Amino acid sequence: MNRAIRWIRTLAEVVSASMLAAMFLTFLLQIFSRYVLQEPFGWTLELCLALWIWIVFFGCAFIVRDREHVSFDILYLAAPARLRKVMALISAAVVAIALLWSLLPTWDWIDFLRIKKSATLKVPMRTLYSIYALFLIVVAARAIWSFIHTLRHGAPDHELELLSEDKS
Amino acid sequence: MSLPFALCLLTLFLLSAIGTPIAYAILVGALIYLGVAGQDIALAGEQILAGLFESFVLLAVPLFIVAANIMNAGTISERLLSFCVAAVGRFRGGLGHVNVVSSLIFSGMSGSAVADAAGIGKIIVQMMTRSGHYTPGYAAAITAASATIGPIIPPSIPMVLYALVSNTSIGYLFLGGILPGLLMGVVLMAMNTWISARRGFALEEPVPLRELPRKTANAFPALLMPAILLYGIYGGVTTPTEAAAVAAAYALILASLFYRAMSLRALYTILVESARSSAAVGLVIGGALILNYIVASENIPNLVAQQLVGLDVSPLVFLLGVNLLILLLGCVLDASTIILVIIPLFIPSCRELGIDLVHFGVVAVVNCMIGLITPPYGILLFVLNAVTRIPLAEIIREIWGFLAVLIFALLILIFFPGVTLWLPRLFGYGG
Amino acid sequence: EDKIVLRLSSPMSETDQRAIALTEQFGPGVSSFATFEPHWNATLFKQNTELEAIARGNLEMSVTSAQELAQFFPEWSIFTAGYVLQDADHQVAVFNDAVMDPFKQKVEEELGVKLLAPMYLGRRHVNLRQSRDEVDVRTPADLAGINLRMPGTDAWQFLGKALGANPTPMAFTEVYTALQTGAVDGQDNPLPTVVDAKFYEVTKQIALTSHLVDWNFIALSKAVWEDLSPEQQQAVQSAADAAAKAEREAQLKKEADLRGFLEQKGLAIYEPDLDSFRSHVQKAYLESDFANDWPAGVLERINELGH
Ligand code: NA
Ligand code: NA
Repeated sequence: MNRAIRWIRTLAEVVSASMLAAMFLTFLLQIFSRYVLQEPFGWTLELCLALWIWIVFFGCAFIVRDREHVSFDILYLAAPARLRKVMALISAAVVAIALLWSLLPTWDWIDFLRIKKSATLKVPMRTLYSIYALFLIVVAARAIWSFIHTLRHGAPDHELELLSEDKS
Repeated sequence: MSLPFALCLLTLFLLSAIGTPIAYAILVGALIYLGVAGQDIALAGEQILAGLFESFVLLAVPLFIVAANIMNAGTISERLLSFCVAAVGRFRGGLGHVNVVSSLIFSGMSGSAVADAAGIGKIIVQMMTRSGHYTPGYAAAITAASATIGPIIPPSIPMVLYALVSNTSIGYLFLGGILPGLLMGVVLMAMNTWISARRGFALEEPVPLRELPRKTANAFPALLMPAILLYGIYGGVTTPTEAAAVAAAYALILASLFYRAMSLRALYTILVESARSSAAVGLVIGGALILNYIVASENIPNLVAQQLVGLDVSPLVFLLGVNLLILLLGCVLDASTIILVIIPLFIPSCRELGIDLVHFGVVAVVNCMIGLITPPYGILLFVLNAVTRIPLAEIIREIWGFLAVLIFALLILIFFPGVTLWLPRLFGYGG
Repeated sequence: EDKIVLRLSSPMSETDQRAIALTEQFGPGVSSFATFEPHWNATLFKQNTELEAIARGNLEMSVTSAQELAQFFPEWSIFTAGYVLQDADHQVAVFNDAVMDPFKQKVEEELGVKLLAPMYLGRRHVNLRQSRDEVDVRTPADLAGINLRMPGTDAWQFLGKALGANPTPMAFTEVYTALQTGAVDGQDNPLPTVVDAKFYEVTKQIALTSHLVDWNFIALSKAVWEDLSPEQQQAVQSAADAAAKAEREAQLKKEADLRGFLEQKGLAIYEPDLDSFRSHVQKAYLESDFANDWPAGVLERINELGH
């Protein structure tokens, strides 16, 4: 189980890094084609935007750690352990329920967009946006896992986690 | 306020308070809004996706993050730091001043405050914290505050948006932003001096002046970067957004070929880390996009407009009132929404009251930029939190002083239109 | 009883002639049974996502374009092609002719969107930062090597290439700065846009190529339409026609008036060899993949309706 997770994480990191590298190179190509070749490629902008969407949602699903998200953890960190556990449980449960609740209606909309092609690359919008459905599923699954983990082992302590991570 | 909207805000604030990531808190709040209002649940995702898919100028954000991470890993920041310490370390608050001045320089090549904060913000925050004399919260706060200067000094995307809704000259607006941008820099540096003295931020060990030439030579290629980017933009090679890619490319060349401090393995790690930060930043920006939809769907701008019909006040009272409103809205709304939706409501009154529209525009844009750092909902605070991992609470604790002096600068701009209009008039503006 | 709410979302600003006409003509025209609630500046839905919002029942109205429709139905590219529509009257004639019926029907069936009336956007011209001494546009060959900013869709990019230029996609908000610094040499838009977006501050000439007589359509949800009584449908159609007519007249007048304004701002405004542009562009389209999507006989019928 742990080995599978580690393997998925490594693969996800390779994919994310490649998408970011591709966006960087596409941007340079865009400048090069316009300024040096004097023959601008029309497709570069849309490719960058598509990569941007994938970097955000693929990244948030697979490689962004929970504590790396922007959050107000003032009250959370100040709370005693038991209250903190309750907060973490509510948070994980609400996120999991809400995202799963939105999954089918959202997929219905994304699926509808198979009839619309992106303006330059002519890719069906369903393909471009499908990453958002995967994002909903994976984030909900992570929230469920975090709920179970908190129930068993207590609330994660962000500051301690941070310290142990830095030392390793 | 409608019931769905109230429930949405309640959910958002409760979830944020118990430590749920802000982006997810907004997403859940939005889903509750849509569900209770009987709208399509899919609209939450639709707004984030469609919004991110057309946000060309935001593409500078991931690229600047890559550039910053390369500079940090490739010893470039280190060399810059050592140069800055040698040059200004003997002065109280020296690196704070460096922070503000570098924001002023970068404001000439970026049209977006978010991109500024994500890019140089990260480098300079690490320089300040590594030196050990500033708290992380202070470093992030002064960075967020100075990033607001970016869109005041041209080029500026908010000014272009304002010109489109107000029918004023972009050229004069750009000119009008220069002195106010410098003024913002001056008040921030004054605040930095004052806080540094009061809190006794330690001074750097004075570096003997004879070492300065060597440190300068060492940092010279890195110091060239702003010049290269400025040439790229003003020489017509790149757009301000594309300049972010050039910055990353230049940093990569310096780090790998010139300083020989970058392996392929290190580059891979940088890309992974940058993708992580970019994803977290992108999700928060996406959250802002859904909130904008909800505000529009509640028809709030039109309701505000109806309240304002037939106001009979003096121009100064009008300006102060409008600015107070923008400042308050800035705590919950995105700058471009304010500029495109709220500001146009006041333009007819400005014309009637004889308020100059270039003056009004610059003041309004400065105000909107201040809104980017007003807690609780300040996107620059979120971005800095995402790229530096400095806790939001620490940043917010340190932001108040800078917020106060920026509002002071705003008042100066309101009371003395000449600060804004002097340069445009010098170049032939008739207003 | 409760009135129906007709929410319209569009990226145009409220000072746009189309927005003014809709606010002043359409809203009052349906006010006895409906509340017209416009959201300008794309505050409700982003540009080019309004049609799917209507299709999904999330929005009632929008102002759509042939380019947007072509993203769903490739045959609509015929109405985005250069030198096909000749002027505002020609647009109206084509829209009301039977040749448009299969196009409209497909949009109604597959998107649930009813196109009520055509709006006139204007003639798109080539607007350059170079002075006429540096670049004098007579024929397509004179645009060789010119980086012309055009919207980032393949239909637009193709048109730019057909004109002889190097089409460059770029976000609209960046165009002013890019013209100022020279990152692009020019852009193409109708005269009112050149004025509204202040491009005249950073450009020196306009070659009146009229390469596209651009149009939009007032779009309404088919589901909403079918819930209306016949009298209400009649009122909605008349209100849309009135708005379209008022907008067309205002925009034509604005186009004519702005020429003088732009000349006074120091821009050289002149007509190139239009025959040479027309034949070059038409040839490019007929040889392209776009023409494969055009139903047989439509181009001929459109030409017949012209003059
Ligand atoms: Na700027
Ligand atoms: Na704010």
